Amino acid sequence: MAPSGPSETPGEDGPLIRAFFEKRESLLLFLAARTRCMATAEDLIQDLYLKIAALDGGTDVRAPSALLYRMAANILVDHVRSSQRSSRRNSDWRQETRTVMGGEDVVDEPAADEVLAAKQRVRLLADAVAELPLQMRRAFRLHKLEGLSQAQTAQAMGVSVKMIEQHIQAAIRNLSQRLRS
Amino acid sequence: MTSMVTNNEQVMADASAWLARLQRAEVTEGDGLAFDAWLAAAPAHGVAYKRALAVWQEFESCADEVLAELAADAARPPARSGTRRWVIGAGGSAIAAGLAVAILPGLLAQPATQTYATGKGEHRKIALADGSVVDLNAETRLTVRFTRAERQVVLADGQAIFDVAHNKDRPFTVAAADRIVRVVGTQFDVRNRQGDLTVTVAAGKVQVRPASASASGHAFLLTPGQRLEIGRTGVESLAAVDPEEAMGWRSGRLVYRAEPLANVVADLNRQFVQQIEISDPELAKTPITGFIVLDEQSAVMARLSLMLPVRSIPSDRGLLLLRK
Repeated sequence: MAPSGPSETPGEDGPLIRAFFEKRESLLLFLAARTRCMATAEDLIQDLYLKIAALDGGTDVRAPSALLYRMAANILVDHVRSSQRSSRRNSDWRQETRTVMGGEDVVDEPAADEVLAAKQRVRLLADAVAELPLQMRRAFRLHKLEGLSQAQTAQAMGVSVKMIEQHIQAAIRNLSQRLRS
Repeated sequence: MTSMVTNNEQVMADASAWLARLQRAEVTEGDGLAFDAWLAAAPAHGVAYKRALAVWQEFESCADEVLAELAADAARPPARSGTRRWVIGAGGSAIAAGLAVAILPGLLAQPATQTYATGKGEHRKIALADGSVVDLNAETRLTVRFTRAERQVVLADGQAIFDVAHNKDRPFTVAAADRIVRVVGTQFDVRNRQGDLTVTVAAGKVQVRPASASASGHAFLLTPGQRLEIGRTGVESLAAVDPEEAMGWRSGRLVYRAEPLANVVADLNRQFVQQIEISDPELAKTPITGFIVLDEQSAVMARLSLMLPVRSIPSDRGLLLLRK
């Protein structure tokens, strides 16, 4: 009898859109696994939204979560195949450090102390990498810093892809602990 | 309390595992759903994942800068500026090196001795404070100590090429096995594997003598193109070689002339994680002549099987080399 309140999802939204909004945070974290900042992940989730908005209503979706993650996984994989790496290599150092330091897109020149702080941060990151055990360090360097795929890294090191994933996992854990605060 | 910490560590390990898994070439909807379920299972999961993600993204955004920093580290002189200042500042050439070393720890916060080590498959170029450059082969351990009178290197184990900056007042010595290799300025390669010593000279003159007067063995003065081999049993032999060949490992090329297969395999096992075994002792003695380009292990193994009537099969510990 009573109409649905303004906080409710509008009635015309299909199950896919509803599932999207329910899982938006998790999908964002999923997509962010391969982006260089959260803003890029937000761009990707916007792409996902546009795709499902085009789909919704026209299809009978039994398992909306599965479809969402299938589409998200495709976006994730395509994102790496796209120009992310090359754009990173060509980009300006200061712009990079702004992303590191602030996360905000500031257009004007950064202050000298910001540049210094960014340099110190890079120093800290490099030290943390240098202290990883040898094999872990090689895997991290090739895969993460030089941008090789897990398979290419495995080939370069003469070990299995599974082993590389284990090295990367251990490196992430080690670096996260080391670089906390 | 302990279980709490352990639990946190487990969550962090899981978060790291997820982040690593999402880097796979193929990520499926199944991965996504499992990730979603894991995140939903406990708020701590999301917290840990975001922490790992922040570090991961930070490395992504400044990967090139970090790489440049790491490269600079590799090329940076190992001795702290303090060491150098001391070396330059010390006056009076009559002070014995031994005495100088005794004073050193008191003057400097940094230790005067630097140790460098490489692991399996790792090559490293280090620039010393005097301008000399050392290339370390895999599984090599080397310590450097600069005194006012001498530049002292100890090659505890492994192989290195030394490009020594000329300084006739401050000889450069390499102690390896029970020999001292002494030069003024030159390029040479020293290999010390389990006490088997090889010294190959590319340029300049190099003196090799027993480490102490009481030790057995002769003193040699090597000239470019000469290689001195001293076995762990003390057998000395001198041969003419192409120094480029002997130093080929620096550019990823191993050159052999009638080298027993066992020695070739020992070299390869220092370069690759997957260890090769030879079960047949006769096969191990087979002399190898040729060069091996060190790229990927599978390619190296394939080429080895073209050079020799051998094949490799996977084993528990790595690869087993068999007669064809």
